[in-house]
Amino acid sequence: MAWKSFLRSLPWVIIATVGCLTGPRAKAAQETARATIVRAILAPDAAQKLEIISSLAGQGDEAIRELFTAWRQDGLFLYAPADGAKIPVELTGDKDAQGAQTAVRADNGEVLKTAAGQPLRLVGSELVAVEHDARLRLAMRNVVDLLDLGSPLLAKRLRAIQTLGAAQKPDKLPVLLARAQVETEADAKLALRQAIALIELADPSDELKLKGLAELRLLHSSASYDLIKAARAKAQADGKSGIAKAADLAMGAIEQHRSVVNFFGTLFRGLSAGSILLVVALGLAITFGLMGVINMAHGEMITVGAYATYLTQKVFGDGVNFTLPFIKFAIHLPGLHLTGWAYQCYFVVAIPVGFLGAALVGIALERSVIRFLYRRPLESLLATFGVSLILQQMFKLTFGSNNVNVDSPVYLSSNWTIFDITFAWNRVFVIGFAAVIVFGVWLALTKTPLGLLIRCVMQNRMMAACMGVRTERVNMLTFALGSGLAGLAGVFVTQLGTVGPSMGQEYIVDSFMTVVVGGVGSIFGTVVSALGIGLADQSLQQILLNPVLGKILVLVSIILFLQWRPTGLFAARSRSLD
Amino acid sequence: MITKLTKMLGVAAFASVALLSSARAADMATVKVGVLHDLSGTMAISETSLRDILLFTFDEINAKGGVLGKKIVPVIVDPGSDWPTFAVKSKQLLEVDKVAVVFGCWTSVSRKSALPVFEKDNGLLFYPVQYEGEEESQNVAYTAEAVNQQAIPAVDYFIAQGKKKFYLIGTDYVYPQTTNLVLLEYLLSKKVPLANIGGGFVKDSSGKITNAGKYTPFGHKDYQQIIAEIKDFAASGDACVISTLNGDTNPPFFKEYAAAGLTADTCPVVSYSIAEDEFRSLPAKDLVGQIGCWTYFQSIDTPANKKFLADFQAWLKTTNAEGVVKEGRVVDSPMVLSYDGVYLWKACVEKAGSFDVDKVRAAWKSGVSFMGPGGKVTTQPNMHLTKTVYIGESKADGQFKILKTFPDVFGEPHLKGTFK
Repeated sequence: MAWKSFLRSLPWVIIATVGCLTGPRAKAAQETARATIVRAILAPDAAQKLEIISSLAGQGDEAIRELFTAWRQDGLFLYAPADGAKIPVELTGDKDAQGAQTAVRADNGEVLKTAAGQPLRLVGSELVAVEHDARLRLAMRNVVDLLDLGSPLLAKRLRAIQTLGAAQKPDKLPVLLARAQVETEADAKLALRQAIALIELADPSDELKLKGLAELRLLHSSASYDLIKAARAKAQADGKSGIAKAADLAMGAIEQHRSVVNFFGTLFRGLSAGSILLVVALGLAITFGLMGVINMAHGEMITVGAYATYLTQKVFGDGVNFTLPFIKFAIHLPGLHLTGWAYQCYFVVAIPVGFLGAALVGIALERSVIRFLYRRPLESLLATFGVSLILQQMFKLTFGSNNVNVDSPVYLSSNWTIFDITFAWNRVFVIGFAAVIVFGVWLALTKTPLGLLIRCVMQNRMMAACMGVRTERVNMLTFALGSGLAGLAGVFVTQLGTVGPSMGQEYIVDSFMTVVVGGVGSIFGTVVSALGIGLADQSLQQILLNPVLGKILVLVSIILFLQWRPTGLFAARSRSLD
Repeated sequence: MITKLTKMLGVAAFASVALLSSARAADMATVKVGVLHDLSGTMAISETSLRDILLFTFDEINAKGGVLGKKIVPVIVDPGSDWPTFAVKSKQLLEVDKVAVVFGCWTSVSRKSALPVFEKDNGLLFYPVQYEGEEESQNVAYTAEAVNQQAIPAVDYFIAQGKKKFYLIGTDYVYPQTTNLVLLEYLLSKKVPLANIGGGFVKDSSGKITNAGKYTPFGHKDYQQIIAEIKDFAASGDACVISTLNGDTNPPFFKEYAAAGLTADTCPVVSYSIAEDEFRSLPAKDLVGQIGCWTYFQSIDTPANKKFLADFQAWLKTTNAEGVVKEGRVVDSPMVLSYDGVYLWKACVEKAGSFDVDKVRAAWKSGVSFMGPGGKVTTQPNMHLTKTVYIGESKADGQFKILKTFPDVFGEPHLKGTFK
């Protein structure tokens, strides 16, 4: 009899304990959670066990979860050494040939050892398992459910609140209300409001249901959509039109919020996709657009930048060994063994390294192949295509045919969530990065003496030469600038995708497409076309919900557009191009 | 002119191979087995590892006296990641080299290409890589994971974890498409409503679902929109992602996933195509806590597995086989299933007392067992294997922590339409 009355009062016991313990775990200081659980295991009768277990409610100690899980799944055993003591142990790890496992003491979480200090391995089937019954399991479950609610970590707390809300169990309502009294974080407060509203939604009383729905309509969070929908279906089945109507309103509010979020999210994603296109194509806008070289090895310049980033990362870390092919020259780059923020800075250093690396390769390519082919564009296409294949094989022989992994630095691998729109830092970064590069290129071309020379050589090579401009040198530097920009793109794309010997091939088509649509010879045209293609691609994906169809539609419209305007958006009129 | 030259070269090469093999045959009786894996082209990254493990296994068996007293001599061919070439090379192995058995193929499309040749010439192919099922050829020994030995246990695990919503995403080819259709049936049979299965559906005119899940092409790079969709889908906190994305598309997917603030805690991902070998080129930091489901993990803590790993590393150090990478090697499920396959073939041959394909097949169907590194494997009458399935959680070092073990799972290839 005492049992039943105790069980009935159980929720109140829990609430009371939570209430007491909301000030962080004052009472637990005297006894660890592990010790309490051992006391529960060794307690002589079930009522005491139940009481001790329930007393743990509201504590945030992770050991509780581990031990309760083991207990509920028959993972706890009583080990009785010869001296008659009883030591509760948890058997973990894989069984060996004899079926023995590592034994961990429940009271301190350490491995059980013999007197000689050797770890003791025990066979579960030879020991007595710690018993449990339905009531104990329920009590344990209640304690575990509340475990995270008191956690000092916001993320854990949020998840616990969300889980409790989604479960819609009315008996958890008092705990959430108690937590709402003391919660200080704005995010957690919002989550609590939502969880409380969701539980009210599941309440049998219509009044509370309507109150919950009104609150959910205010909060318009995607997370509650499914539950509201279920509630509406139930209300319709029960013929409660008032509730169904309120649910409709709440769902409408969520849908409206969703479409606003989607719209601005797509805008942002389109901008970032366009920025990537721009970063990747800008180098080509110079080598192809200004110089008229059909450079099929442009993609490999991107790869050079990407591998430069990989090597920089390795040097900041543990160092790297590789062998140059053909000459069998082994290179060992010693590592700086940096950690923390110093290591994370590798990406900042990789930016100039990638630029210079690709620029040097560009100079070598221009001096050895391209300078002989300025008047023969078709041959330059073939020659650079060959160079591209050679470079790909060189990468393969140097770094292996497997893709290599470039870590994302912490400052590029998180996000801001504003008004439910996710702004991933790497995406925000690429937009800024593109803006800076475009601005830099514009400055270099229009405000520097070299820019003046570049423009005049590109407009009329012969005339510039007659005027005493060293066109050879200008050609070389222009090509180096274009290649260096491709290297910068390579540095950036390590943050988005794979780094491997043939990664450049994935970007070459996109690059040419962007430059041609923008208008060969016009940097401004490249900017407009990159952003336009990015936005169109992302919007179509959003509308069609299919990544492939969106891309096909974009390509088809580009073909049609070029039929109508073969010179692209902004045709540059230049004698060298005529 | 050129064709004549190549023909002559071919004849010369063939003659020298024939000479060499007859010279070898003199000192010990031999049996020829075929190795049909891509050693060049896109699939070389994955399949070279399988060639290595097969060579290791042959050396190990030969050192202990071979099969029926005969030494295994591998005939290695390279289809070059070109699917029709699989049929050509199979024909060469079976009709010219007259091998007793062939170990090979990775992609389903390559298996489908070689299959008619094996059926016509009554050859035997050991196939070691997880696949979509719906096939049961008498000429293929499927050591691979069937769908119920990989995809379904992982879904069960998520259901047991309290997950209610499932997002299906994969690369656009036969394995993901078929697997997702089977999973769709399975999820519906588990009373998961259609609205809780994400990724979208294609229906035919009668309203029957012909395609489930979101698909991206090979080499897809931009996952922003899809991740945004998953984030909205997972807002309720009880969702998970079931991914059949192919190797190359995983880095962009997981980098975007991490950047959007999704983690293994909020919305776990199970990836059927990521094993230890693939991890070498993945951003491990972004994958910590994600789920893998295979019939072997390198981290299995048994004496048998430790011995296997030590033996393989020792072999790598001493071997002089051409093109074997010796550093930073790991072992994963397809490799171990290749290893198990060779030993099962050996056991079947010894049980039958003959290399004859029909007798070996009969021995396979009668049920033969082998204690492999991943536990006991037993052959089944339907040409598949009964084996232990493991669910693991990935760690920052590219290994898996084993969370759950399902012993002795019967391999069931025909699952479509079996769930009610």
